[in-house]
Amino acid sequence: MLPQVLFSGLALGSIYGLVALGFALVFKATDVLNFAQGMFVVVGAFLAVTAGTQLHLPFALTLMFIVVAAALIGAAIQALLIRPLTGRSMLSIIMVTIALSIVLRALIEIIFGPQPRALTTPMPTGVFIVEGVRISQLHMLAAGVSWLCLGLFALFFRFTTFGLQMRATANGHEAALVSGINVDFVNRVAWAIGSVLAAIGGLFLAQLQLASTELEGIGLLALPAVVIGGLQSIPGAIIGGLLVGLIEQLASSYVSPRSADIFVYTLLLLVLMVRPWGLFGQRELGRV
Amino acid sequence: MSGEQAAVSAAPAVRPARGWRAPVLLVLGVAAACYLPFILTERAIFGVRLSNMQLLNIGLTQVNLMMITLLGALSLNYLTGIAGLISIGHAAFYAMGAMAGAVFGTQLGLPFPVVLAGSALVGAATGVVAGLPSLRVRGLYFVLSTFALHYIVVFMLSEYQFRFFDVVGIPFEEATLGTFVLDTPLRWYFFLLVLCVLVYVGLRNSLRTREGRAMMAMRDHELAASAAGIDVRILRLKAFACSSAIAAVAGTLYSYYMTNVNAEFFTIDFAIQFVAIIIIGGMGSLAGSLVGAAVWLLLPAVITGFAAQIGSTDSAFGTLLTESKPQLVNLIFGSLVIVLLIFAPGGIAGIGRSLRDRLSVRVR
Repeated sequence: MLPQVLFSGLALGSIYGLVALGFALVFKATDVLNFAQGMFVVVGAFLAVTAGTQLHLPFALTLMFIVVAAALIGAAIQALLIRPLTGRSMLSIIMVTIALSIVLRALIEIIFGPQPRALTTPMPTGVFIVEGVRISQLHMLAAGVSWLCLGLFALFFRFTTFGLQMRATANGHEAALVSGINVDFVNRVAWAIGSVLAAIGGLFLAQLQLASTELEGIGLLALPAVVIGGLQSIPGAIIGGLLVGLIEQLASSYVSPRSADIFVYTLLLLVLMVRPWGLFGQRELGRV
Repeated sequence: MSGEQAAVSAAPAVRPARGWRAPVLLVLGVAAACYLPFILTERAIFGVRLSNMQLLNIGLTQVNLMMITLLGALSLNYLTGIAGLISIGHAAFYAMGAMAGAVFGTQLGLPFPVVLAGSALVGAATGVVAGLPSLRVRGLYFVLSTFALHYIVVFMLSEYQFRFFDVVGIPFEEATLGTFVLDTPLRWYFFLLVLCVLVYVGLRNSLRTREGRAMMAMRDHELAASAAGIDVRILRLKAFACSSAIAAVAGTLYSYYMTNVNAEFFTIDFAIQFVAIIIIGGMGSLAGSLVGAAVWLLLPAVITGFAAQIGSTDSAFGTLLTESKPQLVNLIFGSLVIVLLIFAPGGIAGIGRSLRDRLSVRVR
């Protein structure tokens, strides 16, 4: 039983890690804790429903549709909602993302109806058994794609000029501005990337379960994942995601399914009390 | 930033009573508050019948629920707007109040006033525990700890519910104050009205005490406040205890009013509605909480009214109104929060204040 639990924990954790990476990117670039990230997952799921199930687009086009639409949505939100609030109090910015998730959920439920939708894609759904462990191909694919995205982003940050600009902006807004970086554009791209990563997570979660606004709760698990890993740390977000996936699966198979979230949030509270900068983050010093 | 804060901190300052105006307004307000339930139950004003549409489809039950929500909003506005501590897990204290009510009232069968006092104590204790992370972490991290706390408390409530009751929920008996049985909405109305006024006046007066001023100082500049000799750590816990005691009492009242409570009621959305109310009404303005709660009350009613008018016609808009009313309410509520945050951070109370300032300047 344990290897089975570990496998599904790591596979789900990879998806959480992907969503959490988007979350951490937005936070690093713009200092905004995006409570709408869970809803971005749902948006991704319903973009997949629109393109795949309703418009009957081929799968490659569906993927492109999801990526482009999610990027546009993310960029539009940054331009319309986040940018005007630059320099406002933290509660205003947090609340705007929460209100955004309320609005997005209402819109999705008005457009698609409150019933969950099944997602039909040509992604493999079979299962193969290795030494008694049932390995679902979809889980494997989800984990594989997540790790591919994570790798691509690592390369992007390390080796491209724009990646360097993003890292510079995250390091210090003023310094980046002075060096001639278009900080506003960088922020917009960060929001677009964050939204795309959440949407890819949503695509897989919708295929694994059903496309519904309930996926928001799963998407919001990215929040403890990021904090446990360390808010300022990109690798921390991924490892935090894996940890959250593992804890969820272990708790729901050995304790009770209802207690799964509690273990995650208790760990979050413990990390906040003992090591608020997370496992991999850097300690922030209070300056006067 | 500092300008915004200065505007907020000016809000609760004492304004000198302008001669005859204040007492007259007070008498009119009391008269209106006492007459309102009779308008709503008899559906008539001074003998003139009113249609449902004219009354915006509001019944006394909704007004009572609004007053219970108002207690929650007041306690959150005190915590966030006055003491500057952000909590997005305020439903946890409501859930705590429901649990305390179930233990003291349903299980032990204690009298209602004792239950209320007990839940206030339990709430205060929970508040101190919830405030403990504030000794170690600031800002963002603290917000996250209230978020985590919400899930933990609601889980406790659901475990408690499944251990002693069942899926249906926790039943609550009829509330009685001595011989006064709270069995009709009308009786609840007057009980809640008195309670709301007491809490409102109590909180407003507490702002003028040393503690209240210290809290505002802490909100505006923590370092300056502690340099002025304020122990901000103790003060934070005090603010939390006070705020969560009120919220827990509101939670107990809510349970008694609903007569049956399920742990599933207390979602994170339930907690967020309080934050939305104080943002719409005005952060740091106790009167703003009332405005926000009123918007929260009126919005669904107005949409139902519209739906009744337009729904009869077969237009697409009519079916949209009737079929997805809760979604529409959320859509408008959420958009209102976004628009106010961007264009009027002081909420409706802030808009009112700036309008009045403009008018009074013109008079002079």
